[in-house]
Amino acid sequence: MEDLILRYVSRIVVPFVQLYGLYVVFHGHLSPGGGFSGGAIIGASMILYALAFNLAAGTKKISHDLSLILESSGGLIYAGVGLLAIFLGANFLGNMVAGFPLGTPGNLFSGGAIMLITLGVGIKVAATMITLFYSLIEEEQATDEHH
Amino acid sequence: MNAAHHLPVLAIVLPLVFAYLMPLFDRWRRGWCTPAALGVLAVSFVASLAMAWQVMTGGPYYYQMGNWPPPWGIELNIDYLAVFTAITMTGVSLVVLVYASKDLLHELKPHLLGWYYTLYLLLVASMVGMALTNDIFNLFVFVEICAIAACGIISIKSNKECLEASFKYLILSTLGSGCLLLAIALLYMVTGHLNFTYIAQALPEAMRLYPYNILAALALLLVGMGVKAALFPLHVWLPDAHSSAPSPSSAVLSGLVIKIYAVSLLRVLYQVFPADIFEVTPVLNILLWMSTLAIIAGSMFAIVQEDIKKMLAYSSVAQIGYVFMGFAIVDFFALTGGILHVFNHAMMKAMLFMAAGAFIYSTGVRHLSGLKGIGHTMPVPAVAFAIGALAMVGIPLTNGFISKWYLVLGALHDGQPFFAAVILLSSLLNGIYYLPIIVNAFFSEPQGRVAAPLPLPRQMQVPLIILGLGCLLFGIAPSLILGLIYRASEALLGL
Repeated sequence: MEDLILRYVSRIVVPFVQLYGLYVVFHGHLSPGGGFSGGAIIGASMILYALAFNLAAGTKKISHDLSLILESSGGLIYAGVGLLAIFLGANFLGNMVAGFPLGTPGNLFSGGAIMLITLGVGIKVAATMITLFYSLIEEEQATDEHH
Repeated sequence: MNAAHHLPVLAIVLPLVFAYLMPLFDRWRRGWCTPAALGVLAVSFVASLAMAWQVMTGGPYYYQMGNWPPPWGIELNIDYLAVFTAITMTGVSLVVLVYASKDLLHELKPHLLGWYYTLYLLLVASMVGMALTNDIFNLFVFVEICAIAACGIISIKSNKECLEASFKYLILSTLGSGCLLLAIALLYMVTGHLNFTYIAQALPEAMRLYPYNILAALALLLVGMGVKAALFPLHVWLPDAHSSAPSPSSAVLSGLVIKIYAVSLLRVLYQVFPADIFEVTPVLNILLWMSTLAIIAGSMFAIVQEDIKKMLAYSSVAQIGYVFMGFAIVDFFALTGGILHVFNHAMMKAMLFMAAGAFIYSTGVRHLSGLKGIGHTMPVPAVAFAIGALAMVGIPLTNGFISKWYLVLGALHDGQPFFAAVILLSSLLNGIYYLPIIVNAFFSEPQGRVAAPLPLPRQMQVPLIILGLGCLLFGIAPSLILGLIYRASEALLGL
């Protein structure tokens, strides 16, 4: 389906949506929101793009393989930050005790490991939404061809 | 960094990390999936054994996540019951995964194997987490992971029965999760804590102020965990789910997943709720009668089944009844029997499901009457099935005898001979449906597809041999595990 208005509007809207998503992710330790909500916003922007254009255009931006890698690496970042704390001599997910720099409270660079963790969660959630969407569409196309 | 100190968290986190890695391996290095999954479960198992050694020599200890002290941070409680449960979960799931690595090639589409390992590792990680955690909301998170992963390993076969069964399971287990969450909310509301130890300290005072909230929480907890553990009137999802799933999934679902909820309920009932609440409400009596019904009705249903896996699934309904009966008779021996049965039944039922899976793999026959003479053509799974069946009935020299012995001892010691009679009656009922299969398997002539089965791969025979020997070993020398369980029961009863 070719819809000019939809394509134009989404082309304008998608960057802002993504920027807002990144804002929510990076301010997870300062304001409401965080990894999950920010990741969901970024994921939704990619789904909007793929819906307004088509799957081929969407996969050109983020391929199924890339979303798979991002999905796994999001989880691995979280676990990795936790394990890093063990290597630094604290308990799992230790923050200040493990020696993560805390920064100034209220600034963007504060909270130590929390920002890395929300980043991991954000990547994970965004990539999961995109992967799920691709999987559903590809399944649909596979069954369409089958019939 | 001292690795020994971090074992509890590594036992949970390493399977989680590898669960995330599996899709990547599956996409680019498919050959690495199986060794990596087996390796990480082996590490988890060794970590559980090492924790058991630490606890047996140095006593129980706590692990604080991120060094945050208890009322704020999440805490892991490494005590006798926790390490016992962790050993059971990781050990049996490791053996089942060896079997799964071959069986799944035949049951699943090849591109799903990596995803199956993802779900499987998530499942094991969540079960170890439930065993170790000392935080009720953390418990809920692990319960959710476990429920989703369990649905996944049923529905992954994606034929009509699997999808229907897993959907049914999903709905009912979500209902259970909802009840659990509400119970946690009520407890948090009246105590202000999520840590088991702190809730337990605040509850006697809160019970005076808000008795109805706590009673409601108790009821919701019982229903929530009861649905997930398939305690008798709430078991309706289990037979379909466990019989239609791929055989390794059935083995791990029936052997482990329903037990972990029972153990979690045990921990919350004994360690969180004050003992005098059981004088106000007959919760333990209700549990006792539900388990009695489960034992009798589960066996009755199993007798009339024609499908081998469906029969095993109904038998699980009966066996989880033994576990709950041990928990509900407040007696040292009964509790020991109940906890021991968690371990014993995990081994027996995993072995029985894997043996049934081996029959289906080699012959395609699921019907009980079609399995005549299978003992002649497939000796290894048939002997394993026979050992498992004898253990289910509770013949001496098998591990099933030991746990039933302790349950009967507990019932008599507590002055409730009726429940001892129930256990004896149910052993007879078990005999009615298990023994004819053994007799038919070894004393009939094989016919049709049973006469010429496909050869069984070695990876599917070795787990059966290990678990078969395990059933005999823990039947002859139960003291290997009983030392740990004695201490767990003593700690739970506050002796």
